[in-house]
Amino acid sequence: MKKILALLLALCMVLGLAACGSGSNAPAASGGKKTFVFGDTTFNAENEEPDINPHYAYSGWPCIRYGVGETLMKIADDGSLQPWLAESATNINETSWEIMIKDAVCFSNGKKCDAAAVKACLEHLIEVHERAADNLKIASMEADGQKLTIVTSEPNPILMNYLSEAYGCIIDMEVGIPENGCVVGTGPYVATEVVTDDHVSLVKNTNYWDGEVHIDEITVRTISDGDTLAMALQSGEIDAAYGMAYASYPLFENDNYKFTSIQTSRCFWGMVNLHVENPGYAIMSDPAVRKAIALGINKQGFVDVLLNGYGYTATGAFPDSFAFGQGVNTVSYDPAQAKAVLEQAGWVDTDGDGIREKDGQKLSIRWLTYPSRQELPLLAESAQATLKEIGIEVQINSTKDHNSIRKDPTQWDIWVSANVNAGLGDPANFFDTYCLDASIKNSGGHHSDRLEKLAVQLRGTFDPAARAKIAVEMQQELLDDNSYIFCSFLRMSMIMQKGVTGLEAHTCDFYELTAALDIN
Amino acid sequence: MKDTVTVRVQKVKKSGIKTRLIFFLILVAILLLVTLFANQIAPYDPYAQDLSRSMLPPSPEHWMGTDRYGRDLFSRVLVGAQTSIFATLALVGVISLFGTVVGTLCGYYGGALDSVVMRISDVCLAFPGLVFALAIAALLGGGVSNAVLALAVISWPKYARVARSQTLALKNSSFVAAARLSGSTSGQMILRHILPNILGPILVTAMLDIGTMMMELAGLSFLGLGAQPPTAEWGNMMSGGRSMLQTYPWLVLSPGFAIFLTVVIFNLLGDTVRDYMDPKNSRAR
Repeated sequence: MKKILALLLALCMVLGLAACGSGSNAPAASGGKKTFVFGDTTFNAENEEPDINPHYAYSGWPCIRYGVGETLMKIADDGSLQPWLAESATNINETSWEIMIKDAVCFSNGKKCDAAAVKACLEHLIEVHERAADNLKIASMEADGQKLTIVTSEPNPILMNYLSEAYGCIIDMEVGIPENGCVVGTGPYVATEVVTDDHVSLVKNTNYWDGEVHIDEITVRTISDGDTLAMALQSGEIDAAYGMAYASYPLFENDNYKFTSIQTSRCFWGMVNLHVENPGYAIMSDPAVRKAIALGINKQGFVDVLLNGYGYTATGAFPDSFAFGQGVNTVSYDPAQAKAVLEQAGWVDTDGDGIREKDGQKLSIRWLTYPSRQELPLLAESAQATLKEIGIEVQINSTKDHNSIRKDPTQWDIWVSANVNAGLGDPANFFDTYCLDASIKNSGGHHSDRLEKLAVQLRGTFDPAARAKIAVEMQQELLDDNSYIFCSFLRMSMIMQKGVTGLEAHTCDFYELTAALDIN
Repeated sequence: MKDTVTVRVQKVKKSGIKTRLIFFLILVAILLLVTLFANQIAPYDPYAQDLSRSMLPPSPEHWMGTDRYGRDLFSRVLVGAQTSIFATLALVGVISLFGTVVGTLCGYYGGALDSVVMRISDVCLAFPGLVFALAIAALLGGGVSNAVLALAVISWPKYARVARSQTLALKNSSFVAAARLSGSTSGQMILRHILPNILGPILVTAMLDIGTMMMELAGLSFLGLGAQPPTAEWGNMMSGGRSMLQTYPWLVLSPGFAIFLTVVIFNLLGDTVRDYMDPKNSRAR
């Protein structure tokens, strides 16, 4: 009897354990509904994306990526603008634009999206979103049926590009910004629940204006840890993943999974802190040190090995596939020349510890970066080793808190991040955001009279070829100063179960979950 | 006749323990010597990156393979032992010394000092150890010294408790009373009569603690609160290779095996020291 009982207990345990581990790779369908789970490493408060409200910081990114919001125009993979919610956009004169909204467009609550609704949305945007207001320069708007007329306070040649930024997602302002963060957009999916740093739940938009939506329910999970993401995809817990570590790619290079990859303008780059309050000002303001840093980073090695070849080295801020990314020059990895530059500037290793000194000050720099872009800490450690070879000590601070630390000029010497620099198909946004006196993210306090003059010139230039020429000059100004160091551009990939279709990577990195998404 | 047999069995047993003790002491000595001369023994510079040799599997050239920066893992494991083992020994040394002094004074003098210090130790013991250490390490920032400090803060009460209980037991013993009658001062009593008699249990506790402390230090480094990159440290190395456990397992297995081996050796030594110092075996000495 005891033996039978023991056997039964053992059987129960085995069945229990088997039930615990019943992860499935089968297509997710519950009660006849098609469900889809997406894992994303970057949807989190750390990246200023705590929810999907496009009018807050960078929360427009998840709004547009997860198919909740849509913009008036969209950026094609070649950087050109294509109609989306807008049928057309006409530049009447230097400061006036006439935009026709498509007649069929409606919000997910069924309300028609006319010019008045777009006007209300944009008015709220420029009221609460500093970066958007600065970019758009909207002075007034008039709505008449489906026609929206925008007048800008000064010529804004790339107004439509800026309106294609994630913050430009059109949401129903009659609903406003609900407390639960579930804004009402025009996209194929409707948000039903947003939990910061955890997940967003979406359901099919039954009123979608632009075709049939195949998936009934979507959960986007924030999985900041790359290993967890890889294991979740392996176990079938998620159907697709964004932000997978390159080291995990071999696990999915088989018939059970599919990749979608594209070259992007997401750039791994560094900004030097030139604030006088910076305790390291004496070091960082020395042009020789900045040049040595630029010479001492092995960009090619980073791309080939640490990015597993999923990228390409950067010369300037933009890929050379754009006209405004061509014709710029900078130094490349050359430790011998870096040493010579430092020697000439009087930086020598007097105490034999391998680190140079000058006037009693050790050549040590504080490298601020963050881990949610998993390759950034790798770049930091790689640069730490190569810069040490030329006599520069690098102290790495890789922290989720980088955005608040960045704002304190006493806490860092070089801030290294990964941003989509030409996501709008135009160069102005990068300079406006990071490099000018008025830029909200010019945390390094960089100033150049020539750059400011060129920026003014760029703002008034409508011809794309002329804009490209100015942008090249502006980049060259940054590169000659070595206060901005561009390392590489990323080849972005998403990995999915073999049954997933309609999930495609795009150069601007804005569009992920669309109506075309399906799972079988 | 029966007593003679018992004594013989105890002698044989004791002799076995002594052999084991010598064996494990030799192993620990080898381990410490290798650690001490790791920089000389390491075949490559543990910090020199060579991206062209990234992720090479174990081979005669690189016994444990290379990491993603092309650094030789065997050299890093060897040099990492300096951080891992010496930091652990320093930690155990500090907490056992501090805990013993505090515990002995509390046990000997009693009163308010005893009450206050023991309540503080109760507070320390009330928190889950590693979680408390994590909080302290997070507060202090990353680094081996801060990790050692964090673990020291939570670990000393164990020794204080042992030392205090032993002191309380000895304080009223006849030989201590005799010493007191012969005019010994409190300092002399503690140093000459109490401390030497409580060192055994303290030593055993310390020996058994080395493995635990090593795991906890490695744990803090694994979580990014101990040694910082590029410092070669076993926990830190495991953390760096964690994402490649399935694709390049040697990145995790090499430092993991080093931790396993070292902890096993120190634990076995601790067990043997405990057996050796067990009063049940003392008659055979």
